Amino acid sequence: MVKKSVPDWLNSSLWSTAPPPTPPNDDDDDGRRIGKSSSSDSTAAPSNSSSSKSANTTATVVPVRPEPPPAVEIRDPLSSSNNNVENGSGTVEIRDPTGDDVSVQAQLLQELSRKIVNIGELRKLASQGIPDGAGIRCTVWKLLLGYLPTDRGLWSSELIKKRSQYKHFKEELLMNPKDWKSKCFFARQSEITRRLDKSTCIEKDESLPETGVVLPRSEITHGEHPLSLGKSSVWNQFFQDTEIIEQIVRDVKRTHPGMHFFSGESQSATSNREALKNILIVFAKLNPGIRYVQGMNEILAPLFYVFRNDPIEENAACAEADTFFCFVELLSGFRDHFCQQLDNSVVGIRATITRLSRLLKEHDEELWRHLEVTTKVNPQFYAFRWITLLLTQEFNFADSLLIWDTLLSDLEGPQETLLRICCAMLILIRRRLLAGDFTSNLKLLQHYPSTNISHLLYVANKLRTQPAR
Amino acid sequence: MVLVLAIGDLHIPHRAPDLPPKFKSMLVPGKIQHIICTGNLCIKTPLINFLLFSPQEVHDYLKSLCPSLHITRGEYDEDARYPETKTLTIGQFKLGLCHGHQVVPWGDLDSLAMLQRQLDVDILVSGHTHQFKAYKHEGGVVINPGSATGAYSSITYDVNPSFVLMDIDGLRVVVYVYELIDGEVKVDKIDFKKTATTATH
Repeated sequence: MVKKSVPDWLNSSLWSTAPPPTPPNDDDDDGRRIGKSSSSDSTAAPSNSSSSKSANTTATVVPVRPEPPPAVEIRDPLSSSNNNVENGSGTVEIRDPTGDDVSVQAQLLQELSRKIVNIGELRKLASQGIPDGAGIRCTVWKLLLGYLPTDRGLWSSELIKKRSQYKHFKEELLMNPKDWKSKCFFARQSEITRRLDKSTCIEKDESLPETGVVLPRSEITHGEHPLSLGKSSVWNQFFQDTEIIEQIVRDVKRTHPGMHFFSGESQSATSNREALKNILIVFAKLNPGIRYVQGMNEILAPLFYVFRNDPIEENAACAEADTFFCFVELLSGFRDHFCQQLDNSVVGIRATITRLSRLLKEHDEELWRHLEVTTKVNPQFYAFRWITLLLTQEFNFADSLLIWDTLLSDLEGPQETLLRICCAMLILIRRRLLAGDFTSNLKLLQHYPSTNISHLLYVANKLRTQPAR
Repeated sequence: MVLVLAIGDLHIPHRAPDLPPKFKSMLVPGKIQHIICTGNLCIKTPLINFLLFSPQEVHDYLKSLCPSLHITRGEYDEDARYPETKTLTIGQFKLGLCHGHQVVPWGDLDSLAMLQRQLDVDILVSGHTHQFKAYKHEGGVVINPGSATGAYSSITYDVNPSFVLMDIDGLRVVVYVYELIDGEVKVDKIDFKKTATTATH
C-alpha cells in the first residue's frame, strides 16, 4: 500500500468532468480506481472488510480494496450502462457528481470507516440522500436497521452469527413437503407405525400370498388423517402452508416485472426470486400471527436489491440472510398495517391514514377541505398503498431507494417520516388537486406524477419544523 | 404423496338425500389429487319434480373437489358413458375400478381376485355391497369403500356411511377409512407396502 498524503477520494475521477471510459482494472493495492464516475468512489471498503487495515481511526480514508467489484452492470440503478429497464417512468437520470454529492459521499465514507460508527452523525448524513456509489447504501441501511452494530470490530462475528441462524431457519422450515411431512408426521406417528409394522410382520406380508387376509386396521390418534380440519393436525398445517407458499410464489413472480434483476428467465433473476421466496416463507412460518400478506414482497424487494448489489462478494452472496433480518426489523414498525384484525384499532392502517389526514389538515387546511369534504376523496383510496407499501409503488425504483434513505435515517422514526412524506406529496400537487374533482383527483393520486425527489424530501423535512405537533 | 379418494354407492336421491354433513365438511377442494368412484352416484329420472338434484349435480360436486374424476358404472347409473371397469396408474400402483355388481357372488373375495388378475392391478376398488372391506390378496389389495351416504343395499339395511382415502407414496400406500358411526366420524388407517417382487403380476 502506498502511503499517500492526499486522501484517495480526493483524487478519484469523480472530480473529472468526463467519466473515464475504461472499465475497472484488476485490483492493485493503491486503490486509485479508474472506472465509471459513480463507482470510482469506492476507495474505502466501507464495511467488514477482513483486512485489518480498515480499522483506521484517522480521517484518512483507507484505500483498501480486497477484490475487484463483481459484475458492475447490475450494481447501480442509475448507471446508464446498466441494462435495468426502469419500471414505468421513461428516462433514467444519471446523477451528476456535483460538489455537494461528493462531499456527502466523502463524509459517509469517512463515517463508515470509523471504528465506532456514530449513528447520529450517520443518520444526519444519510437523510440527505445516500449516493449510489457502490457499497455505501447497503452498509448504511444495515447500520440504520440495527443489523450491524456500531462497533466495527463486532461486525464479522455478528454477521457470522446471524447468517448461520438464518441458515438454520431455512433448514428447519423450508423442508421439501414430502420430507417435512414424513419428518413431522412420522415422528409423531412413529410409535404407531412401528407397532403396525410389527403387527404386519406377524400377519406375514410375504408368507401368505394366496389366502385373502383381512388387513388389520389401526386407530388414528389426534385426528391425524389427511382430511383433518383440526388446528393441531399436521396434515391441516401442511395444506395451509402449501396455500401460503403458492401465494408467495405468485407474488414474487409479479414483483417489479420491469426490472431484469427480478424478472425474466435468466439465472440471476431466478435465483433472486428464489431468495425472495425463501425469505418470505421463513418469515411466514416464524410469524404465524401475521404469516404472509400481499405487499410484503414489495417491501422486501428494495432491501434485497440493495444488499445483493453490494460490491463486496461475501456480502452479496449472503444477501439473503442479511435481507431477512433487516426485513424483519423494517417490518416491525409496520406490522400492524398488515394485520386485518387490527384494521380498525388504534394501531391499524385506518388509524394511520387518519393521522395522515390530520397532518394534512394541520399544514394545509384548504387542500384538506377540498380533498376530503368537497371532492370526497377518501384518503383510504390512495394512502392505503402509499403507507402499507412504504411508497415503493408510487415512484420509480431508484427514487424509492432515495425515499427509503430518508425513511430509515430520520430520527423521528419511519412511521412519522412516512406520514410527513405523504403529506408533502399531497402539498406538492396542491394546485392540480384544488382544481380537480373526485375523478381527476383520484386518478392523479393513484398515479402520482413523477417529481423531483429531493424537493419532495425537502418539503417533507420542512413540515417537521412547523409548530402544533 | 398422492391422495386418492375412493367413494361410491351414493344412490342420490333415491336412497339418500345427500352425503352426511360431517363428510361434506371434510371434503374440500385442493387436497385430493384423484377421485375414483365405484358407481351408483346419481340417477337421472324423467320426473323432474321429484328430482332433488339436477342430473349432473353429484358428478359436478365431485368434480369440484378434484378435476381428476374416474367413475365406473353401477347398475342404477343411467349415464351410459361410464365404463364398466377402469384402470389407472398412480405412482407405483396400478388401480382398478369396478362397481362390483358384475362380480358374482357379490363381495366374494375369490371372484374379486379373479377380476384383479384380469385387470392386472395392485389395488382393486369395487363397491355394491355398501360394506367397507379391505383384503390383502396375492400381493394386492381389494378395497370396498362402502357407501358414502349410508344408503341401504340389496343385502342389508344397516349401513354406516363410509369412504376411503388412499395416500400413495412410493411403494407404500396408507389407506384411511372414514366411517360415520353413531354420528361421529371415525378414522382408521391401514398400511400396505407393495413388495417389489410383485411388480410382475
